[in-house]
Parts: sequence; C-alpha cells; structure tokens
Amino acid sequence: MTLTIALSKGRIFEETLPLLAAAGIVPAEDPESSRKLIIGTNHPDVRLVIVRASDVPTYVQYGAADLGIAGRDVLIEHGGAGLYQPLDLNIAKCKMMVAVQNGFDYDDAVKHGARLKVATKYPKIAREHFAQKGVHVDIIKLYGSMELAPLVGLADAIVDLVSTGGTLRANNLLAVEHILDISSRLVVNQAALKLKYNTIQPVLDAFASAVPA
Amino acid sequence: MRNWLLPEHIADILPATARQVESAKAAMLELFRTAGYELVLPPLIEYADALVSEGDSALDIKTFKLDDHLSGRQLGLRADITPQVARIDAHLLSNRTGVTRLCYAGSVVHARPSGLMSSREPLQVGAELYGYAGIEADLEIIELMLATLRQVGVDKLRLDVGHIAIFRGLAAAAGLAAEETRELFGALQSKDIATVRELVAEVAEPYKSAFLALPELYGPRQVLDKARTRLPSLPEVELGLMQLTAIANALDGQVELSFDLAELRGDFYHTGLMFAAYAPGWSEALARGGRYDNVGRKFGRARPATGFSLDLRDLVRILPERDAAQGIRVQARDLAAARDAVAALRAGGERVIIDYLGESAVALDCDRELVLAADGWQVVPFN
Repeated sequence: MTLTIALSKGRIFEETLPLLAAAGIVPAEDPESSRKLIIGTNHPDVRLVIVRASDVPTYVQYGAADLGIAGRDVLIEHGGAGLYQPLDLNIAKCKMMVAVQNGFDYDDAVKHGARLKVATKYPKIAREHFAQKGVHVDIIKLYGSMELAPLVGLADAIVDLVSTGGTLRANNLLAVEHILDISSRLVVNQAALKLKYNTIQPVLDAFASAVPA
Repeated sequence: MRNWLLPEHIADILPATARQVESAKAAMLELFRTAGYELVLPPLIEYADALVSEGDSALDIKTFKLDDHLSGRQLGLRADITPQVARIDAHLLSNRTGVTRLCYAGSVVHARPSGLMSSREPLQVGAELYGYAGIEADLEIIELMLATLRQVGVDKLRLDVGHIAIFRGLAAAAGLAAEETRELFGALQSKDIATVRELVAEVAEPYKSAFLALPELYGPRQVLDKARTRLPSLPEVELGLMQLTAIANALDGQVELSFDLAELRGDFYHTGLMFAAYAPGWSEALARGGRYDNVGRKFGRARPATGFSLDLRDLVRILPERDAAQGIRVQARDLAAARDAVAALRAGGERVIIDYLGESAVALDCDRELVLAADGWQVVPFN
C-alpha cells in the first residue's frame, strides 16, 4: 500500500532524516537542491511531499498525505481537527515567547489592564495566552518579520518562536515571557491509520524508537 | 450582483447525481423496510431545547436557531435526526413497551460544517433500534449498516469498533472532575499522547497507566488481549472488552475489522459500543453509529437505544458511475401520430424524449429512436 509523508524543507526535514532512516526510508533527492515537490524514496511505495510547514496539517487532514510532521505551534493554530498526533518527535525544538522593545515596561503595561497591541503569526496561541493572563489584546496578524512591529510602533509586543534569540538581540528586543515549549509532532490522517494500519504502524514504531531524548 | 452564488458549504445536487441520490435513498429505505424498520419523517424545525441536550455544545453550535413568533420560544433547524427519533420513541410511541425499530432519511442543516469538505446540508439516512439492551441489537445495527453500504456498491469496507464505557468507567474511578474529563477526552480523541501525559500527571495508579495505554490500544483484534493486561479490571472495562470480543467473534470473516479503545469521536450522547465504517481512498468515515441508552430520558422515557446514520450526499461521491445512456428519441413532428406508441413505451418504464430541435444522440442522452416502418412504429438504434 502506498504511503505519502508531508514534510517541510529546512530544519524539520533535516532533523527528520534520522527518524526516516530508522524506518528504513531514504529520500531519493535533497529538497534543498531539487525543485521537485514530490520526492521518491528507496521504497517504491513511499513518497515524500514537500509543503509549507503551516500547510502540513491541511494535507494530512484531507488525506492528501497519510503522515506529516508539523510543529506544535502549527498544530495549535490549525486546530488539529481530523488528525491523530500520536508522537512528540522532540525535534525542531524552540520556545514560543512574548518579546518587547528594550525599555518597554511590559509588567507595568499588563498591570494597567489597558489593551495591548500584539503582532504575531500565531493569533490563536497569542489570544489564548493573554486570555489566561486576563489581559485584553488587539491581535495584529503578520506573516513575517514580526521583530519590526514594536520598532516602528505597529505593536507593543510580539508573540513569536525563539530558538537562539539572535534576531531579537539584533533588533533591540527582549523576550519577557515564555508561553510554550515547541517541538515537532508526527500527525496521521485518522482514516489512513485505520485503513493502512499494517503499513503505518511499523513506521510509527520505528519513529518512536528513534526519537531523540 | 452575484446572486447566483451559494453560501459556503452549500451545493445544488445536479441532474445525474440527484437521480443517484434518490435511487440510493429508495434502495436504503427498502432495505430498512425488509428488516422491519418503520419510516418516520420528523419536522425540519422544532423547539431548540428538544433538538439539543444540555451540555452537548458540539451539537448546540451546529444548530441554527431562530425565534418562534407564535410561542415566543427559540426554534432550531435540526442538525441531527437521531434525537428527534428518540423523542418519537420516548413520547409518541410510549404505549409500545417492546422493541421499536425506526428509520429516516432527510436533510439536516449545520451552522458550521463538520469538516473541511463537509456540506452544511447533509442528507442524513439512518436506522435506530429501541428497547433492547443486549449486544444482539448492536450487532443487528452494525450488520444493517454494512448491508446498507454494500447495497449501494461500497464493498471494500473496514469496520472500526470502540466502546465509550471503558473511558467513562476509568474517568469515574479515577475521580476526574467534569472539566478534566473533557480535556482528557479531547486529547485521547486525537491520540495526543504528549498532552495526555501532561493531563494525567497527578492521576493515581492504576488509572494513570490506563489513560496512557488507551491511545495505543488500536488495531486488529489482538488489541483486546493487550487491553486486558494494560487496563485495570473495573466492571465497565470488563463489560466493554467482553462486548468488543463478542463483536469480533460474530463478525469474524465478514468484514475487515479493527478496534480502537480511544475512539471517542461519536456523539455526545453515546454510552456503549461505537462503530464506524471506512473505505479506501476516503479520508472520513462513511457511516457511524453506536449505543445511546439515555437520550430518551429528557423526553420522559429512557430506553436502551442503538443506531447508525450516514450522509448520503457525501456517500454519493463514491457510488459507481450511472449506466450508459438509455433513452428513446421521438421527433416532435411524429408525436401526434406516435402518441399511443410513446405512451406504451413510457408505461413500460422506458425514457422517451421529444426532440424539438433535431439534437444529437449525445445531447439527448438517447441510444434509440422511434421511427415509422412498414408495420408501424419501431424502436431502432440511434447514434
């Protein structure tokens, strides 16, 4: 039975390679150098589809891919409907943080309870976080370069992924609050797990045995 | 003005498909009739509090509501026919104390679609059996569900079976609060083991290990043996595993069978065995069902109940292609002379089309035509 796995380029792809290897799957090409969107493997029945990270849950939900690897951030924003998320792969780890411009008194702004302007690519996570803190926010949805928003007065704070903090420092921003630890999860189409159990379960078991500590 | 555009997730059913839908519906209702299920046609609209049980937020949010100017009460457009049929059994047919079998086919309306591809106006077809708590009733419904799908041409079926009493029994024994139960239910539904682990961190053994085991307990029937070793022996767990084993034995060899003890995706009101039918190439279940013993209580009579339903609008997408063109053309100028011959053909079930414009066989979807021969009107090939 054929198996289609949805992956995004870059860090997730690189850190997934050892997991695929544990399941005996070796990609035929490197997506960084190839322009192909469907990449074969050493198994004629297993193929990889290369999609944007935030599109992985959608491909798997529709059944266009049986399996996928997506960050917890992406899964929370997507909602996870129609997906199983049986495995935390412990790869592509980073943190979801609140950051402000150096010198902005975040604690004071939160305490005064006024509406805070928050720029983010992750409106669901941001809204939930500030609702738990009891702070009203106006969410400004951006698609990239979030760090710019406080500098030009578009927002008071940003909610974004931080791995090394280098971009924040370079732009005179400071991480002031930790929201969530992020890592990538294996997601499975619900019908596929039932219909292709004999094909998918060995891959799941192999991934589980190879998850980094 | 784009007044021809339909709202999101709302679609017409166009000619070829409409005929397929109607004939599949008729075939299903006929199958139900021969199995002893009586047809009911509940209203499209009724008081909202009858349509939605208290606490069923998923169904509540799917139900369109409007004000009734006659009663001053809130009305709902039905989003699910099952509670309506339970109301009929509990109240209107309450003089019957034996087994009642009811079936239905009708449109429901969803304020929010169930899935990305789902219609907001599913055509729900289903059958329900009231008044018998034994597993034989669940089996009757499962077999009827499989027969219904096979009858309309879906053959490569996989039946997935779960039992919600196992989770409910564990949650009660572990003393989980309603909110904790709801969160855990959500995490188990998506087999999100990382979140389950966070949620049960404070739960006492053996329940903690049991909750962590549930998302891994899926697959072929060996899963039931594994479950016996990994779950504590509560009465609900024992009963659930016993019933699942009985289903496995009864259906052995009849259908591809799998089990899933964390499959809690049924409706809010389910209480026992739950099942869903899947087919290759389909990213959603084709039909779902299960036991829901308490739904009638709010209408004054709680009765054992089990049933299944499907969305025929959804299902029709995988039904086999309809047959090649079958029809007889009669030219409009011949009609007066051929009136009796046309009437006789139509009475015999033939599709006879009057051709005003001299159209092609393809345009008319006809394979034959009516022509005058030496010995009267004859049907001859037309192409």
